[in-house]
Amino acid sequence: MTGRPGITAIAYALPACSRSVRELGAAGQLQTDPEVLENFGFGRVHIAVAESPYELAYRAAARLLEEQAVDAASIDLVIYSGPPGTLSLTPAAQPWNGAALSSTARFQYPGTLLQFELGLLNASVLGIDQLACSTLFGALRVARSLCVTEGIERVLCVHAEFFPAAAGREAVFNCTSDAACAVLVERVALRNCIAASVHVTKGYYWDGDALKNEIVASYFPTSKHVIERVIAAAGWNAADVDWIIPHNVSLRSWELLLSLLALPNTRLWTDNIARYGHSLAGDNFINLRDALDGGAVRPGQKLILFSYGYGAHWTALAVEA
Amino acid sequence: MSVPHEVVFFTGATGLVGGDVLRRMLAADPALRAVVLVRDAGRWEQVSTRLALPAGRVGAVVGDVTRPGLGLSADTRVPLAREITAVVHAAADVVFSRPLAVARAVNVAGVRHLLDVAAGWPRLRRFAHVSTAFVAGRRVGRILEGEERGDAGWVNAYEQSKHEAEWLVRASGRDWVIFRPSTIVCDSAAGGVTQYNAVHLGLRLLHDSLAPMLPAAATSAIDVVPRDYVAAAIAVLALRQDLAGRTLQLCAGSGALPVDELLDVTWRAWSRRPEWRRRGIPRPVLTDIATYHRFELAVEETGDSKLRQAVRALSYFAPQLALPKAFDTRAADAALGGPAPAVRTYWARMLEHLVSVGWCEAVKGVAA
Repeated sequence: MTGRPGITAIAYALPACSRSVRELGAAGQLQTDPEVLENFGFGRVHIAVAESPYELAYRAAARLLEEQAVDAASIDLVIYSGPPGTLSLTPAAQPWNGAALSSTARFQYPGTLLQFELGLLNASVLGIDQLACSTLFGALRVARSLCVTEGIERVLCVHAEFFPAAAGREAVFNCTSDAACAVLVERVALRNCIAASVHVTKGYYWDGDALKNEIVASYFPTSKHVIERVIAAAGWNAADVDWIIPHNVSLRSWELLLSLLALPNTRLWTDNIARYGHSLAGDNFINLRDALDGGAVRPGQKLILFSYGYGAHWTALAVEA
Repeated sequence: MSVPHEVVFFTGATGLVGGDVLRRMLAADPALRAVVLVRDAGRWEQVSTRLALPAGRVGAVVGDVTRPGLGLSADTRVPLAREITAVVHAAADVVFSRPLAVARAVNVAGVRHLLDVAAGWPRLRRFAHVSTAFVAGRRVGRILEGEERGDAGWVNAYEQSKHEAEWLVRASGRDWVIFRPSTIVCDSAAGGVTQYNAVHLGLRLLHDSLAPMLPAAATSAIDVVPRDYVAAAIAVLALRQDLAGRTLQLCAGSGALPVDELLDVTWRAWSRRPEWRRRGIPRPVLTDIATYHRFELAVEETGDSKLRQAVRALSYFAPQLALPKAFDTRAADAALGGPAPAVRTYWARMLEHLVSVGWCEAVKGVAA
């Protein structure tokens, strides 16, 4: 059977605790005035306290398998991303045991644990790291490639990334949320086929704290370039794009980027920016799931998923819903 | 009856073009003498030495165009009144970011004070005023040399104050000629930069990844001129009697460089240096002015000082890029026998010079 790889299922998990932007400001977890961040579109974020990254990753992956009635044995590959090693297994409110790095405990990996606990008997495991908010895009890139080159049928991409419970909740004027997201990529998909993907890394900006101004400045032209490239790679025109499924960064920056792309703001799916904030790498896929569930995205529509990973990676997917 | 020798009163002789104009006029007419108005006699000594001006033909008087009577004593004024036959007024505050009152104090009041003093000079035959092509302000399209309109407004106080100064000159009843140079960027031969200005500051922001977008259409042209072209033109034309009452635009005109091409040339030149190329700094996006203003607002709101300073610096001149204009230069070209050098003939040399002298650091303290 011929066909294109695509995204056949998405599920996500959020921590139980959530806070408003104003509550975060009162708790000293923001650098910017909460009112400014509200003007940028942020409302609430989810904060893991009792949960560990792995626990959320497990919940997201288990939900995906259950909702889609996926046979666990049919998964060929797990691509796991998130905090490394034992840090993934530590609840967010607990201090991390750095001593684990000095022992074989450092080889206790969440990806392999997930394979075991979900009964993914036939799945091998890969880890993806160092891509920040573009990590899930990196996972999908590998998944799609292996589907094509190795004939793998089903890849489960799982990501859980978050900050310690008491950490700051702002990254470059964006309010950050904790979340895990699982995405099933299949070699032959009837929906959400991946038409093209583009990934650009600029190592000059690797030290984001030292080059914060330069990164903010380079963000816009490089983002425009990447989105235009993925549209062209898919064989589309900008006018063909029905929806931009964003990473949940400030609405202000999205409006600017859309303006540079000559795309109307109405094509940006924004519902989750206020209610979830920026969940790092999960945003686009959580948003795609909700946009599909809510009926905003209809079969056959042309979607662009775009994200920027601090450190510094620009990435985009063209998807036919 | 012999033609009396010219004695030219110069302002701005220590500035970007004034000294070179003086040097060229002295070289062209061995009988010509000059008096320069300077604020700082010590600085003038340095400049006159650097210019290698002929001894005994240039005198200096200490004064200031911002002061009534140019700040000259009566003892100084009397000999000037006996001798001066022409004025070349090149003094100006060329900083774009000045408040209007500050810009007017030099650029408008300076002209008024000079005209007031010159009213007592019975031998004065010519008042040559150095203005700017950007008195056109926010106008777009073809800008004719004879036009004096200011109805579209201005991008910065410099433009407005120079427009107002032109009106004073025209209304003075003097025999005048007005020169409107475009933005001076370098010397045409080697690309050397004598004085940094907003163009060099803008280039530094592009070079250092601090200017993500520019408000311009791809076809908008950048009109700049070499310093030596402007100095030579003024030196040749300032005293020509047939140019009385004329306004001459010393601009690139049809030799202006489209923004898109200018960015191509610039990125190509910088990319020859591996240490810059490996940064992967993106070319700025060309966008409309409304989007650019939204970006400015976002930067103000998010308030990181370095980027905010960069964007504020650009705000004093970058909006000109969104106001495409083509300067008519027919009168100047006819008077000079040809046009200004096309920008593409020296732009890359200027970029090489800037990089070679490490202008990114040097230009940091320069006001836009």
